[in-house]
Amino acid sequence: MIAALETRHGRRRMTLLVCYTIILMFVVFFLFPPYWMAITSFKTNHEIEGLKGIPLIIQEGPTLTHYTSLLTETEFLVWFKNSVMVTVSVVFLSMLISVLAAYALSRLGFAGASVIGTAVFLVYLVPDSLLFIPLFKIVGFLGLLNSKWVLVLVYPTLIVPFATWLLIGYFASIPKELDEAALVDGANHWQMLVRIFLPVAVPGLIAATIFAFTVSWSGFLYPLAFIFSSDQQVLTTGTVTSLIKGDVYHWGGLMAGALLACLPPVLIYVFLMDYYISGLTAGSTKG
Amino acid sequence: MALVQTASVERVRPARRGRRFRSRSVLGVLMCLPLMALIGGLVAYPFFYSIYLSMLNKRETAFVGLANFEYLLGHETFWGVLQFSFIFTFLAVFWKAVLGFILAIVIHALPVRGQRIWRGISLVPWVMPLALSSLGWWWMYEPTHSALNWTLVALGMNPKPWLSDPFWARFSVILVNVWYGTPFFMITYLAGLKSIPGELFESAEIDGAGPFQQLRYVTLPMLKNIIAITMLFSTIVTLGTFDIIRVLTRGGPRGSTHMFGTYAFELGIATGDVPLGASVSLFMFPILAVSAFFILRGIRQRASA
Amino acid sequence: MLDRNRREFLKTVTAGAAGAAAVGFPHVARAQTKLTFGLWDHWVPGANDALKGIINDWAKGNNVSITIDFITSIGNKLDLTAAAEYRAGSGHDIITLGTWNPTLYKEKLEPVGDVADSLIKQYGKFQENATYLNFQEGRWVSLPAPIGSHTYPLETRMDMWKKHAGVDVQDIFPADVKKRNKGKVDGWDWKTFLAGAKKVNAAGFPVGASIAENTDSNDWLGPLFASHGSFPMDEKNNITIESDATLQTIEYLKELTKHMPKDIYGWDDAGNNRWLISGKGSAVFNPPSAWTVAKRDQPAVAAQVWHHDVPRGPKGRYRGALPFSWGIWKWSKNKQAAKDLLLFLSTKETQWKLIIASQGYDYPALPAFFTHPVWQEIEPPKGGQYNYPVRGDEKLIVAGWPAKPEFGVQVYYKWLLPTMVGKVTSGGMAPKDAVKWAAKELEGYKRS
Repeated sequence: MIAALETRHGRRRMTLLVCYTIILMFVVFFLFPPYWMAITSFKTNHEIEGLKGIPLIIQEGPTLTHYTSLLTETEFLVWFKNSVMVTVSVVFLSMLISVLAAYALSRLGFAGASVIGTAVFLVYLVPDSLLFIPLFKIVGFLGLLNSKWVLVLVYPTLIVPFATWLLIGYFASIPKELDEAALVDGANHWQMLVRIFLPVAVPGLIAATIFAFTVSWSGFLYPLAFIFSSDQQVLTTGTVTSLIKGDVYHWGGLMAGALLACLPPVLIYVFLMDYYISGLTAGSTKG
Repeated sequence: MALVQTASVERVRPARRGRRFRSRSVLGVLMCLPLMALIGGLVAYPFFYSIYLSMLNKRETAFVGLANFEYLLGHETFWGVLQFSFIFTFLAVFWKAVLGFILAIVIHALPVRGQRIWRGISLVPWVMPLALSSLGWWWMYEPTHSALNWTLVALGMNPKPWLSDPFWARFSVILVNVWYGTPFFMITYLAGLKSIPGELFESAEIDGAGPFQQLRYVTLPMLKNIIAITMLFSTIVTLGTFDIIRVLTRGGPRGSTHMFGTYAFELGIATGDVPLGASVSLFMFPILAVSAFFILRGIRQRASA
Repeated sequence: MLDRNRREFLKTVTAGAAGAAAVGFPHVARAQTKLTFGLWDHWVPGANDALKGIINDWAKGNNVSITIDFITSIGNKLDLTAAAEYRAGSGHDIITLGTWNPTLYKEKLEPVGDVADSLIKQYGKFQENATYLNFQEGRWVSLPAPIGSHTYPLETRMDMWKKHAGVDVQDIFPADVKKRNKGKVDGWDWKTFLAGAKKVNAAGFPVGASIAENTDSNDWLGPLFASHGSFPMDEKNNITIESDATLQTIEYLKELTKHMPKDIYGWDDAGNNRWLISGKGSAVFNPPSAWTVAKRDQPAVAAQVWHHDVPRGPKGRYRGALPFSWGIWKWSKNKQAAKDLLLFLSTKETQWKLIIASQGYDYPALPAFFTHPVWQEIEPPKGGQYNYPVRGDEKLIVAGWPAKPEFGVQVYYKWLLPTMVGKVTSGGMAPKDAVKWAAKELEGYKRS
């Protein structure tokens, strides 16, 4: 009996050892690029351009010049603000559209619902690299060329299909008897949506929100194509287009900007990840 | 389900059935209106417009039917793009799925309290804006200062021509995509693993199943659905890869890493041949439509389950 | 009480305004003119500010309110902007156009012949290649823009070449064209260059020039082929690449690339800059941007860099150039003001200031401005950039010339030359097959 326990204990320790070894390998793989970026952002230009010694450590003493010049000499803070404004609006708009559509598609079985449902998934298949040139015309027509608000309009097309799909999964998991009962009690659809459906779908809403946030925060092609004034630029394109000029790269500043731009999403994930996982869990296995 | 529902309503209040049904439909359409406006105006219209563009000549002055597609198929360069798009998508999705699975299993096997930190670290690549992290990768591959080559040399190995040899350039861009996408697979699989009831493993263990047998007979069957859906969604996104290639190789060396998106971009923007660029992008569609078929089938199964 | 006061006040104000209008209060004769200008984002620190100051002064003096956007050329951002505005039918009044954009967007560009003609009258002709890119179908579709225009001389580490190859580039190309010795200059040909490249490579400091999907590759390969008499397409759109001259050049490159780093096939536009700045390289083909960064980060390297003429081939001496242009969109509501501004920016007085602000990087479209003293003064080393403006027998071209620009752009941006060369020198293809491949590609470029 004790021997059996011991071998079981030993096997568990073995397993853990193997697990940690594998995880360690992944961690090196995952974190080496950000490490290298961070190291570069603290090096002096002289050290970056010279090729002496070990590149993996800082030899000439860390410097904050890249960060200070990023914050004082470029419009980094403006881009940051723009990114926040765009992202918040995109998240709000996308969630609004998705919630309404998911409710209608999962509950109000009306003529054409399945067509719309199919169309939503087909949208997922159209890549942004196909659309940006025809979109020039539409964006110009709307008078939104070179305005950050154009992003609030185009980003939801990348988010809504996934978010709607996720929420349909949640809404479908709510027993239909419940809404029948609510309807009999005189509740209207709006009340049902707010009082019954949304609370149940909170994990899904959070997961979809995080997804929307990620897409909007890190989008690159659309802002690159539609925005050219520095005061309308968002973080990703602002950093890249103002720190690479002609054939001159400001490596330190680029890496500093990239890391600062990563901070908000990293923080959000740290705090909301558990919701995200449980949100995905339910959304992808229920229903 | 829907049938049962309407039937019950009918039995209770036959007179109000018609009106309620109608108001329901109106409400349903209304609630879908923002979605339809968004998709119609910003996806469907530009999509059909690009189909129209793809049938024009270079100067966009004459209708040429399918001549642009014919032109593409007659040129070696485009076949190269087609080939690499497939290679890239297949290998990247495959490795993301495999590595994501291994990582999810390994993290899941840890004590619950320890999982959080590893999960957090593992998500970093996916959370960083891809255009910016690609720049970081590029700075690692960069021939003159390459940190990777320095490390290889320090370990007694030969430096690699990361971006200057077609084979290694292809390897390099796929590696970045795997680095970026593995966390997403991991997190979805982990979510799936958490939903498998623990009793299943316990009873398997009682039946004498070892870790690998448990994996094979419990975990994999339970995750089958989620694996399939994740891979299909990922196929779509991966085939549309743009940032990584634009930043790392711009399609080089000698066109060996061009994919649909980057090649279309180069044709449309740099050489001003928008119709040909649109044709290149549209080649993605049949491939995606096949994926769509499977996804839709998966979702229907989901909905009916 | 308070309310009444306010109402009274408002009434008075409105009455006053109406009264002023009624009696013909001296109002401005025309609405203030508005202009928006998309300018190339200059990498030289301070150049943008100097330009902005000059434009704002002009705007004040002419009662124009002007908005300026500085747009980078990186990631095809400048090309994207032009494409977006062309399709959207809105955007800036004046837009900076990348080298080949005038031909792509000429239908919607307002001809600027009046501006060009008055400049020509005053200062003489434009550079031939600037004319080639801007004067199309009998009209000036856009105006050559000096800002951002640059050329590709050799940037040589003179110490390395003197020590290891026995070539003193400072002696061949001194900082005074009158002191040039014709024999020495004529002796500076691709053969001499190859012999020198072998020696510096043997010493561990190779020459580096990219053969990849980037503009730098075109800007040294195009001239190299041209100087052997090889051109992809002639002005009548005949495909002329299948020639002995092409094969001869490829053979030459096969030899030359043996003495270059293997990484050149993966370089981007900044690859050669880093190569030179790091101290590993002994020569690159580039405008002075590499030198400028070196001066900031590795001053010891910069002090040894000499800019000078490229080697001569059997059929002449060609140097790569990438001129920019300014275009006025047809939908602009203030075309005259836009033209006035462009004329003002192109005058000698303004150019004199701007060339200083760009530290001599901006390459004048009018050869009359080569007399600017900046290229003699910039240092270290003194006179190191004297030969950045063409002083001798070099002809400036852009790869793809002399085909019509609409085909030239295909040659250039489908990377025909670097791909053809790379197929042989890195991919191991037989030169004949590579040339055949190129000819077939060119056949496809003729698609209208």
